Amino acid sequence: MIKPDYFTQLKSDIRFNEGLHACINCGTCSAICPAAAFYNYDPKQIATQVQSRNEQVIENLLKSDTIWYCGECMSCKTRCPRGNTPGLIIMALRQLSIETGFFAESEKGRQILALKRVIGSNILNYGYCVHVEGISSEMHPEQGPIWKWIRKHAEKVYNRLGANYGKEGPGALRKISDSNLKELDQIFQVTGAYDRFDKIEKFSKKKATEMGYNTKIESMDPYFLMIYRHNSEKHYKQKA
Amino acid sequence: MINEGKIRVWKDYQKEIADDRYFYVRSCIRQNFFPGAEKTFLRIMRDELRKDVFEDPRHTTCTGIAYHTDIVPLETIMTTVARQFSLMTENGYENIVPSCITSFGIYTEILELWEHHPEWEEKAKNYLFKSTGREFKKPKNLAHSSDVIFKYRNEIAHLAKHCLVNKETGQPIRVVEHIGCHYSRMFPQKGIGGAEYPFVLTGLAEAFGGEVIDYPERRACCGFGFRQYLVQANRGYSIACSKKKFESMAPYKPDMIITNCPGCPYFLDRWQYVISEMEGTTYGANGYGIPVLTFEELAGLMMGYNPWDIGLQMHQVSVEPLLDKIGIEYDSHDKYCDAEGIFMGKPEIPEILKFC
Amino acid sequence: MMEEKKHIAIIGGGPAGLESAENLFDLGYKVTIIELSDSLGGKLNNWHRLFPDRRLSKEILNHLKNKLNRNIQIFYNSTVIKTTRKEDKFFIELNNSSSLECDAVLLTVGFDLFNASIKEEYGYGIYDNVITSADLEYLFHANKPLLTKQGKTPEKVAFIHCVGSRDEKVGNIYCSSVCCVTGVKQAMEVKQLLPHSEILMFYMDIRMYGRFYEDLYLEAQEKYHVQFIRGRLSETAENIDGSLILKADDTLAGCPIKVNADLVVLLVGYVPSKYCSSLSKMLHIKCEKDGFFAPCDTHTDRNFTGSPGIFIAGACTGPKNLEATLADARSASITIHKYLLHVPVLEQINKVG
Repeated sequence: MIKPDYFTQLKSDIRFNEGLHACINCGTCSAICPAAAFYNYDPKQIATQVQSRNEQVIENLLKSDTIWYCGECMSCKTRCPRGNTPGLIIMALRQLSIETGFFAESEKGRQILALKRVIGSNILNYGYCVHVEGISSEMHPEQGPIWKWIRKHAEKVYNRLGANYGKEGPGALRKISDSNLKELDQIFQVTGAYDRFDKIEKFSKKKATEMGYNTKIESMDPYFLMIYRHNSEKHYKQKA
Repeated sequence: MINEGKIRVWKDYQKEIADDRYFYVRSCIRQNFFPGAEKTFLRIMRDELRKDVFEDPRHTTCTGIAYHTDIVPLETIMTTVARQFSLMTENGYENIVPSCITSFGIYTEILELWEHHPEWEEKAKNYLFKSTGREFKKPKNLAHSSDVIFKYRNEIAHLAKHCLVNKETGQPIRVVEHIGCHYSRMFPQKGIGGAEYPFVLTGLAEAFGGEVIDYPERRACCGFGFRQYLVQANRGYSIACSKKKFESMAPYKPDMIITNCPGCPYFLDRWQYVISEMEGTTYGANGYGIPVLTFEELAGLMMGYNPWDIGLQMHQVSVEPLLDKIGIEYDSHDKYCDAEGIFMGKPEIPEILKFC
Repeated sequence: MMEEKKHIAIIGGGPAGLESAENLFDLGYKVTIIELSDSLGGKLNNWHRLFPDRRLSKEILNHLKNKLNRNIQIFYNSTVIKTTRKEDKFFIELNNSSSLECDAVLLTVGFDLFNASIKEEYGYGIYDNVITSADLEYLFHANKPLLTKQGKTPEKVAFIHCVGSRDEKVGNIYCSSVCCVTGVKQAMEVKQLLPHSEILMFYMDIRMYGRFYEDLYLEAQEKYHVQFIRGRLSETAENIDGSLILKADDTLAGCPIKVNADLVVLLVGYVPSKYCSSLSKMLHIKCEKDGFFAPCDTHTDRNFTGSPGIFIAGACTGPKNLEATLADARSASITIHKYLLHVPVLEQINKVG
């Protein structure tokens, strides 16, 4: 069976159909895009490259750092005179990049393992995307000294402020009981989130092995730390 | 600046906000960093305005951050949202009020998706039933908690003990407003005031007597960028976006920043600290930062609640300069006490940023 | 006994209305013009100099008005409130209780300019120093000084192309055709007024389609050093001193740019006159999806609406420049003449293939 070409695969993503009609390269998206100001990134090029329907061009995109620069702020949507949304095109490209495993070919793409491990486990263990217990000052020095203090006195600080810290019942940072977490787990199973998680792990492990990391440790710690921290510094616009 | 022009724009973007019986769903980020803000919202709505705001403790994250870091597909977030709707329906509510702006954006997108592509609503029903046995009805009204506070801004201002006025000079407090990206960019009609000149925070600040400042980078994203912050290697993007905003607003000498997204105040607060450490620059007067408040925190302060019950002690940028300007009294010792009044010890002081 | 002259009612006293009135009168008909305002000439009253040769609009306006025979009846400050068809004739009632009976109706209601405040991100009506091309033309026409709201002589003026045109967001996907040449003309006029100023044009395409329009583009660059940046304006923001910051992408250089300007001129496009919609309902004739009147045939029969006795000419049938409007008015005159002489018309073009 011949696999459909990349453009056809992208067309099956409803967000892609919302996001790409036809681009005339006017640049109103690039003008306002925070990523374009900072990174070597140009959202109109995403639109024009994808609308070329060229297999090789799209495959290069899927393997590149380029598609991972977008911050999904959707500023592009507010300005395009043709009704395109590069941010939605990006989301469709990222999804395809994960499905194909091509994400592992780029420095920024490889980072998704870290996101899956941290955010994914927060959701399944706590029912929150982020949780104070998982935000250490070592991994987040930008949190400042105030965060150290908050974590040190977490239960007391939170409970003064309307939390029901770690307990069942309404309130901030309540314990979301296991039966609810089980429902989330089932949703993840049925809707394909676990499939995606597995792909992320599988392709990351393959890449880590290729790159010479010890993947016999389940958590792949050195690889994890590398993708979380490593920045080759070649992503930014050079000063003239 | 011609105000009539802005007022004309705001008139075009009105939205319907339910007046009572709200099903409240919390924000992951707000619960972790600004839990006092959610507590303040509930106190104002329930105790002051006597509204029915219901919270079902079984609700979870909407998985918005997971969706926008591309680790879960659309089907997953859609079904998780459907589960939230199912809890709402089960409890007999029709009006849903998310605390998070990304959530609000997600709920809006999903409802629009179902509106234009009913087969996706069918999919959601099937997925939810298959995974949890649950059924749901769509909400009749969707509003962000800042929309609700906006709706009742005049009532709150009427009950308020303070106003946003500098008590020494008599001049209005200079407010910079920062709207979350996912509030009205995707669907400008779903945001009060639209995407270019949103009014939801301006109206609130003005109701309290403040003066809202426009500045060139007002509409710029704070730089959360989801993966751009969450992965350490990318954080330069995030801080650069916030710095761009600070540099742009500084000449206008704002007294405070107000936000409605839960992430934005976190970034606008912490990046001021980091910029001070990295470059020695501070943006407030006298070596302080510009205090960043959520809309709930502002409303709570105006109502005369204890700043440390609102949660302002959790900010890295000290709010005391602003409290002093307005003439709000506070107990500096109480700042670091727990609910029983027992002192917990002070945090370390940053090296550069002045801190109370 | 001499047969009574056939009577044509022309709704709209702008250039198309005036040109067709004169031609129809010369062809031997009785002509009445129904004009909305208190003067003839339509938009020609608002322009200072016309492209491509920069002659004064007043020249054409006077020419069109002067050649009107004094026997042409003109109703000023009038709108049509009701029309009734009686066999081959039309009975028209006006807002001031006047009425007339005629054998043919010619609609020359012209166009409106895009309301730039709809394009919120450009800040018209919000920021002091954002004006439209129409505002600028008025300044030239009234010989008013070109100053910022703060009373300063602008050093940097930015012209923004495609405001309200080629834009799905505001609901007009068509090109208004004449804004590019208007912008280039005005850029040169500003440079003549303010020789030390820097002029920037933010465009998507430079559409200099008409005869000698390209010459203007060359002159703007070579003689007046007008700078052209290929990038559609994304956003205007205001600095603390009232000057403006423009965010665009220099698409040819491939990078986003932020440019300061003292004055921003929005080149606003055409929108259908609101009378297109109301008259189409009243007379049961069609408009196209862009809101302008629909001709019977795109190529061969642009002045007939398809409804016997009702004809259209000028900008109400789509954006066009002045010479095309005048030519269209003459074309309508011949079409109406043949109709009133009962010259048989081919029912429809035979489709090939």
